[in-house]
Amino acid sequence: MLSDKSKEEIKRVLNKYPNKRSAAMDALRIAQNETGCLSGDVMQEVAGILGMPAPQVNEVAAFYTMYNKKPVGKYHIQVCTNVSCSLLGAEHIVEFLSRKLGIKKGETTPDKKVTLSVVECLGSCGTAPMMQINDDYYEDLTDEKIEEILSKLP
Amino acid sequence: MADEEDEVETVFIMATVKINGKEITVEDGTLILDAARQAGFEIPTFCYQARLSGLGSCRMCLVEIAGQKKLQPSCVTPVLHGMDVFTENETVKSARASMLEFLLANHPLDCPTCDKGGECELQNFVFKSGPRQSGFSEWKRRFHDKDKILSPVIVKNHNRCIHCERCVRICDEVVGAKALGGIGRGVMIQSTGFMDDRLDCDHCGNCIEVCPVGSFMSLPYRYKARPWDLKEVDTVCPYCATGCQITIGIRNGEVVRVKSRINTGINKETLCARGRFGYHFIQSRDRITKPMVKKDGKLAECSWDEALSVIKQMFGSGRRTAGIASARYTNEELFVFQKLVREVFKTNNIDLDSRFANKWVTSAMIDACSLAAGGIPIFDALKADLIFIIGSAVSDENPVTDYLIRTAASDRRKTLIIAHPRRMKLDSSSAISLRYKPGTEGEVIKGIADFIENGGESTSDINAAAARFKNASNITMFLGAEILRLANGVDVLTGIAALKALLKRSGKNIKCLPLFDRCNQRGARAMGIHPLFLPGLKKVKEDGMDCGEMLDAAKKGEIDSLYVLGEDIVSMHPDARFAREALSNIKFKVVQDTFLTETAKIADVILPGASYAEKDGTFTNQEGRVQRLRKVISPVGDSKDDLDILCSIGGFAYKSAREVFEKIKKEVAGYKDISFEELDGNGAIVTGHGRQSLSLKGTVPLLSGSDNSGQQSIKEDKEYPFLLITGNHLFHSGRLSQRADILMQLLPEPFVEISEDDARESGIVDGEKVVVKGNGYEAAMKLRIAKGSQKGVAFVPENFDSVSVNMFYKKGEGIPRVKIVKLP
Amino acid sequence: MFEPILLKNINTHDSHRIDVYLKNGGYQALAAALKMQPDGIIQTVKDSGLRGRGGAGFPTGLKWSFIPKDPTIPKYLCCNADEGEPGTFKDRVIIEKDPHQLIEGMIITCCAIGAKVAYIYIRGEFVFGAERLKTAIDEAYQKGYLGKNILGSNFNCDIYIHKGAGAYICGEETALLESIEGRRGRPRIKPPFPALAGLYAKPTVINNVETLSCISHIVNRGAKWFASIGPEKSPGPKLFGVSGHVNKPGMYELPMGTTAREIIYNHAGGIRDSRKLKAFIPGGVSAPMLTERDLDTPMDFDSLAAKGTMLGSGGIIVMDETACIVKVAMRTMGFFRHESCGKCTPCREGTDWTYKVLQRIERGEGKEGDVELLEKLCGNIFGRTFCPLGDGAVMALRGALKHFRDEFAYHVKNKRCMG
Repeated sequence: MLSDKSKEEIKRVLNKYPNKRSAAMDALRIAQNETGCLSGDVMQEVAGILGMPAPQVNEVAAFYTMYNKKPVGKYHIQVCTNVSCSLLGAEHIVEFLSRKLGIKKGETTPDKKVTLSVVECLGSCGTAPMMQINDDYYEDLTDEKIEEILSKLP
Repeated sequence: MADEEDEVETVFIMATVKINGKEITVEDGTLILDAARQAGFEIPTFCYQARLSGLGSCRMCLVEIAGQKKLQPSCVTPVLHGMDVFTENETVKSARASMLEFLLANHPLDCPTCDKGGECELQNFVFKSGPRQSGFSEWKRRFHDKDKILSPVIVKNHNRCIHCERCVRICDEVVGAKALGGIGRGVMIQSTGFMDDRLDCDHCGNCIEVCPVGSFMSLPYRYKARPWDLKEVDTVCPYCATGCQITIGIRNGEVVRVKSRINTGINKETLCARGRFGYHFIQSRDRITKPMVKKDGKLAECSWDEALSVIKQMFGSGRRTAGIASARYTNEELFVFQKLVREVFKTNNIDLDSRFANKWVTSAMIDACSLAAGGIPIFDALKADLIFIIGSAVSDENPVTDYLIRTAASDRRKTLIIAHPRRMKLDSSSAISLRYKPGTEGEVIKGIADFIENGGESTSDINAAAARFKNASNITMFLGAEILRLANGVDVLTGIAALKALLKRSGKNIKCLPLFDRCNQRGARAMGIHPLFLPGLKKVKEDGMDCGEMLDAAKKGEIDSLYVLGEDIVSMHPDARFAREALSNIKFKVVQDTFLTETAKIADVILPGASYAEKDGTFTNQEGRVQRLRKVISPVGDSKDDLDILCSIGGFAYKSAREVFEKIKKEVAGYKDISFEELDGNGAIVTGHGRQSLSLKGTVPLLSGSDNSGQQSIKEDKEYPFLLITGNHLFHSGRLSQRADILMQLLPEPFVEISEDDARESGIVDGEKVVVKGNGYEAAMKLRIAKGSQKGVAFVPENFDSVSVNMFYKKGEGIPRVKIVKLP
Repeated sequence: MFEPILLKNINTHDSHRIDVYLKNGGYQALAAALKMQPDGIIQTVKDSGLRGRGGAGFPTGLKWSFIPKDPTIPKYLCCNADEGEPGTFKDRVIIEKDPHQLIEGMIITCCAIGAKVAYIYIRGEFVFGAERLKTAIDEAYQKGYLGKNILGSNFNCDIYIHKGAGAYICGEETALLESIEGRRGRPRIKPPFPALAGLYAKPTVINNVETLSCISHIVNRGAKWFASIGPEKSPGPKLFGVSGHVNKPGMYELPMGTTAREIIYNHAGGIRDSRKLKAFIPGGVSAPMLTERDLDTPMDFDSLAAKGTMLGSGGIIVMDETACIVKVAMRTMGFFRHESCGKCTPCREGTDWTYKVLQRIERGEGKEGDVELLEKLCGNIFGRTFCPLGDGAVMALRGALKHFRDEFAYHVKNKRCMG
């Protein structure tokens, strides 16, 4: 069950739109912020709040990559490997992170602290290579910079 | 055609276009695809289906339009006057072949183990227009190794999906279940249920039917046959009165599937769970296959000769005899049955089971819907700008009618108003859903009429609905069979007739159609299964007794012989105790049926008849559409064709249903122009029987002021707070469906449904086991909560021997009251 | 030296705050626009020659003029801030550094087309940008630039932020509308075009962030001034984002029509480690790549179209001689495969198939006939897809094949890179 706080937040975003369905993406994001990932139960609850058929909420959740269908670690590292980043060594960044964290891409460390993902362009090509940890961008990456960033993760 | 005025003819703007050089003039706005088909050029499609919203995604139907750089999807592109279209040139053909090559790329090509092999659209199109070789040599997308069983009826193979999304759209737009979605994106999309897990849906299997490949498959039919091994016969569904065309497939004498055809019947490709999966009763082990007679108080098997001679010897004649038939029998059988009752037994004591209605109510229904004036094709009825439904949980009772209304109501210019105590699936398409307590239907009608006549503020739902009536110019009303069950049904129907007259006076076109729960309810009346009417709804000279009156008479010992054709009176008559007692007073009872029903168990002679799959004949659906039943298999065991049985007893010389139909044509005016032989998948609409109304006015005893039994139950009763409605469930119909294994898997036992408010007040949660008590009877069942249903109303499906819902009824007391208590 | 217009204030301290924006003359254009007739604003924008900066280059004023004038029909403005074309990072700069420039442009646009509600569709990954926008919108409400009776006029306007959640396709305008309506971002059938039936089936204008950011300047300084910048047929300032193998990657605002050579060598500092330029993509990965020979092409809509490529988003990706074109093509196709919504057959299956072939060649498992197969697949996809995504995928690959067919063939034959 979602907390009252999340439910309130969902109710607030409803005001932006002429119909409830439009709030689906916001509602799923709010739910995910609370629960970490979108399980069937969470989607069903969102469907109930928005008066949508659950399979259609499922459609939305499954279409957009930022909705987690599986639990992710406390820190979700997403490395861009699109062309600009790739030209400047994004694959090396992924390998380096993989080695440092001891996990392959798509995996989460056993202590559930870090998940490593490979993603498409994050719109930061001028500062490639780059990665995103949770909401924040880390740009112009080098091995040293990554070591420092990782060491500073609380 | 009925007595309604002709509609204003619409003037269409036309467009002339060239398709492959051939000039054709079509209505402006016609899709290129349709124009090409009209011109005789077939364009292959996957995602396109006429009844579904346009998707334009499979790109199979790309055509070249002179002057346009890109090929255009003909399924979503309307013609423009002067357009020059090419559907067969090299560019188009190679585009088509390339789309097929793309679709085959990730398709597993496991045709040898695919149920669809032999009737697969992908296979067929590739055979016809596909590339002869593929350049694809990469790894194929694979979701799973083992097919997924999503429900008792649906098995899914995601690997084979070609993403036409017909399944998702039919479930959403037509069936209204909205149980499917496209989960994922790119090549990884799966069209499936919530979380790709078990499907809790209507189990109608229409997703299976529309699937062009073997992605959605029928679990019951799985690995049962190859399409070319099947013998397939087109016939009519035996459940509700929507009258869906079905195609039964048999292999080695066994019925292995029921499907529907895309271009046949009003249902086209759709069916409901009952129609598609409710066929196992046909070859059920429980069928009675030998005649039986009661010897020393016990039923024992006997020969046909013995059974028939006992009947001839024991069955009386005159007023002290009676006949009751089920509306599941064919027109031909019912016509011969009334001949038997009237000419051989010499009585007008004949009726349908009329589970809840007396002869005055049934007559008033015939009048309100102008059944004597001929049929109204449902698609004509659905052209109205306002559609009003009252007295039917249509989503449960007539599922395919629900689909047709949903499709019509998706047109934003139309208004759908539903009046019913229970929430139903179709509510999601309605502008206004009026809730009321059962028994107060008359007040709803009166409220609408009052507002139209006197005006007022449209604050209440009823007034808002009435305002919509005022603004509409073509109105269609659907009257449900529940009105027949009301003690004040005549009042309600009189009210409806008055409302119709009022609307007509203000210049509106009104059409009125019944919604019946038995496949041949309308035909039965026309065949003279009514104590007041001969075939063709001609008035009898001397009124007979209706079902209720027969039982009253029986109770008093005034009936000696009763012939029951396929009806289970003990289980279905309101007030089970009374019915059983009355029947046991009748000295000689013949029951002709397919199963050993509660009524058959107390018969003196049982005659094993045939199921719908074992006979020829016709049904007349609720629209007045006469459709052909065709024999698929021979009657099982020693059972016999019902027509043969009735003819043997009556000494009639008819050799076939066709011969009886010829006789019907002579006696029933509305059938005179119909050719039995030529009845195809679209059937034929009956014409008028030569009169507009039954002219019973003055003789119909109006209940208001005299017998107020219908109103009494509306009064508050603190101890028994719920008014009980009983009826069919989506998966069940009468007591027949409980003999169909799959339907029993879908819903094996009854439940009681109440509103969310009531559940909250009583502190009962969904799925909890409760006891329903009333009229000295009680039954335990699970509770279901219906959000948005009328408070103070409970519903229990009447389809199970395990709970005799008619025990809750007390004769003469109308709608029963019950209480619901938690199991300790 | 070209004086920056859109990026003028980005290096000012607190450039995102309304006080700073106002100090630099902000919201004066709005005050002026509110005194104009809506048609007058549209005419000004038409006269300015402004063309959409999202990629297609459609004349903005003309787009606005398609909106029905009937005041009883609700209308919408949607700002496309779903910046996702690889190689592009211009909108993010405006959103984070000068959000009021965008907001002012949006309010003026709403005024011109008669919309009372506008949505900013911002890609979900831009969390920081969305926060900046939210703060800026709140500030604008506080100062009376948004809400009811703006600046004492009878014009009302609300702006809401709609966050995406990771789908490149939502940059396609009808997919963006679907996404705002709470569905999967899948393109709609056109017609009807959004100008007649867009968001909630109401007339809708969809404009890019950079396009809308030009509006206040056009109103302030006049159509003539704007039209005098750059080439006659695609005038105005343009944001060029340079990434890849250059010494000074980053965002450069220059007049439309500046040559690639000037941008890459004069502004972005030339190729790193003094290497040779091998190829450059002029406008995000959908734009077919060009080579050294094309360096003097003016970077504007028409000149690039004449070269068989496009200005697109103006995101220039530079590759030096160490870059493997097969890998770039494979990576690009992988992107399109990942972002294909899956609706239509040629895009869904075509990008998948093509990617698999490219992957194989890149891994050194190429087979004879693979290059021809790639060309055939391009032909089978191009012009047959539901929306431009599939075409974009093909154009990118065709661009690579056109200039570097030998490199593909070498890869197939020798199972490794040329270099």
